[in-house]
Amino acid sequence: MNEKLKQLYQSVILQHNNHPVGYGKREGSAYTLDAYNPLCGDRFQLFFSLEDGRITGLGFHGYGCAISKAATSVLVKHLEGQPVQRALEMCRAFEAVVQPDAPAPSATEEDFEAFAAAREFPGRLKCATLSWEEISRFLEAQGVGG
Amino acid sequence: MPGLAPSEIRQQFPIFSHHPELAYLDNAATTQKPRAVIDGLAAFYEKQNANIHRGIYSLSAQATLQYEQVRRKVAALIGAPGPGSIVYTSGATAGINLVASSFLLPRLRPGDEVLISAMEHHANLIPWQMACRQAGARLGVIPMSPVGELDMAAFRQMLSGRVKMLAITHLSNTLGTINPVEEMTALAHRKGIPVLVDGAQSAAHLEIDVAGWGVDFFAFSGHKLFGPTGIGILYGRAEHLEAMQPVIFGGDMVRNVTFEETSFAAPPQRFEAGTTHIAGVIGLGCAVDFVSRLDRPAVRARVEALGQYARALLAEIPGLRFIGEARQAGAIVSFVLDRVHPHDLATFLSAEHIAVRAGHHCTQPIMQYYGIPGTTRASFTLYNTREEAERLAAQVREAQKFFT
Repeated sequence: MNEKLKQLYQSVILQHNNHPVGYGKREGSAYTLDAYNPLCGDRFQLFFSLEDGRITGLGFHGYGCAISKAATSVLVKHLEGQPVQRALEMCRAFEAVVQPDAPAPSATEEDFEAFAAAREFPGRLKCATLSWEEISRFLEAQGVGG
Repeated sequence: MPGLAPSEIRQQFPIFSHHPELAYLDNAATTQKPRAVIDGLAAFYEKQNANIHRGIYSLSAQATLQYEQVRRKVAALIGAPGPGSIVYTSGATAGINLVASSFLLPRLRPGDEVLISAMEHHANLIPWQMACRQAGARLGVIPMSPVGELDMAAFRQMLSGRVKMLAITHLSNTLGTINPVEEMTALAHRKGIPVLVDGAQSAAHLEIDVAGWGVDFFAFSGHKLFGPTGIGILYGRAEHLEAMQPVIFGGDMVRNVTFEETSFAAPPQRFEAGTTHIAGVIGLGCAVDFVSRLDRPAVRARVEALGQYARALLAEIPGLRFIGEARQAGAIVSFVLDRVHPHDLATFLSAEHIAVRAGHHCTQPIMQYYGIPGTTRASFTLYNTREEAERLAAQVREAQKFFT
C-alpha cells in the first residue's frame, strides 16, 4: 500500500463509505436526481426538496465505489439545509479540490481535503465528482429560473 | 520451438524491462508487444515505407509484397483456405460491423431473426441489434446458466427457419467461457444459417480452424494477439465475400470508374478502401510469426493451468465470488468481492503494480444477468507467471482488510 493511496482513502473516505450520511431511499421528496456514470455503472439517486430556497430532506441511495459513495455522503452532510446560492458555492469549492487543472484550493472544508488525493488518480476523478456535478447542474438551473 | 518458459518469453517483451514490477493481468483488453513486433513496425517505417498497390518503383512493390504476404500468414494461422478470404479491418469490431451491414442487412426481412448469446461483448451485440431494428427483425438471445455456459438445448430449439444469422463469441471476455463453436456451427448449418465467430479473445490462445469448422466469418483484432492496435482481420468464406457489397468507398477498391458507374475490385481489396494501416499489417505479420513459432497447444495448456491456479488461490478468500465458472474456460478470471467495489480494488492493486480491469467489460447484459454493476477481471497470457497469480491473490486479501 503506497502513501498516495493511503492519502486517497484516508479515514474520511473509508469512514463515509462505511457509515454514509443520509443513506436510504426516500419517499415524497420533491426532487430525485440520477447521478449515473455509464462507464463504470456507479449510480446514486439524490433525494431532496427545496423550502424557502433551502435544500431540505437531502439523502441518497444507490451503488458505487468507496470514493463516489463517500463523496456523495459528504455532499449530503454539507448541502443539507443550505440556501441554493451557498450550496452552489460549495459545489465549486469541492470541484476545486479535486480537479487537477483547477487553481489550488483555498481554506475549505476538512472533509473536502480528503478528496484532494484524487488528483493523483485521474482514472478516479469522476468517482469523486459524480453526485456533485449532478446537483450542481440542478442548482444552476434553479438560479437561472429565478 | 523457442522459449515456452514464461521467463524466456517474458524477455521478448520490452515493457517488462521498463516496468520490472508490473504484473500485467489485463491481456483480455490488450496484450503487450514483443520486440519482434516493435522492431518490425519501426523497420517498416525506417526502411521500407511506401504506399502499396500500383507503385511502380521498387519500394512500393516491396511494401505491396509484404502487405499481401501477411494475408498468407494469417490464413495459415487460422486455417483459412487462402489469402483471398482474409480482409484487413481496423479490428474485430469493424469486421463484425462489416458483416452485419454488408452481408446480413440486405438479406434480412421483417420477422426474421438473428441469434446471439447472453455473453456477447457489445461489439457482437449492437451491430446485430441495429441491423434487426433497421429490417424489422428480432434479436434472439441464447440463454446461459449461472456458471456461464450456454444452454445448448435452448439453442437447438431456437434454430428455426426464421433465423438468418448466428453470431457467437468463441471465448467470453468477461466470463472466460469457451463456447463449442464447431458444434454450434454444424447445428446452425443444418438449418442453412450462416455463422460468425467473434475470435477477439480466442485468436491468441486457442487453435483456430475456420475451414475445418466451416464457419462463415471469423473476426479478431491484432492488438490482442501481440500485434499493433488499429489492425484486425475478418475471415469470410469466398462465396460470401464475393456476394457482399462494400460499405466504404474510395480509392484502391475499384475496377473501373466513370461518372456514371463504378465496378468494384474483387474481395478482399473491395473492402479495403483508401490507404489502409499498412504498417499495422506488417506488424501483425510479425505477431503472427511470433505466435506461430510457439508450440500453441503447449502454450494454451500452460496459460489455462495458470488461470486455474489463480482461481484456486482466489477461491480461498472469504466473500469472493467468481463470475463465470464454465468447465471449458480460458485464463480469464472475473470476480466480485463482498463490500469492496471493483474500482477500489483495481486502484488498490494498481498501487501494488498489478494491472487488472474493473467494470462491466463492455458486457452490460452479463452484469444485468448477475445483478452486479461490475467485476474485477484478471486475464492471463503466455508471459504471466504463477508468482503473479500469487501476488494477485495476496493483494486481494490485503485490499479486503483495508476496505472492510
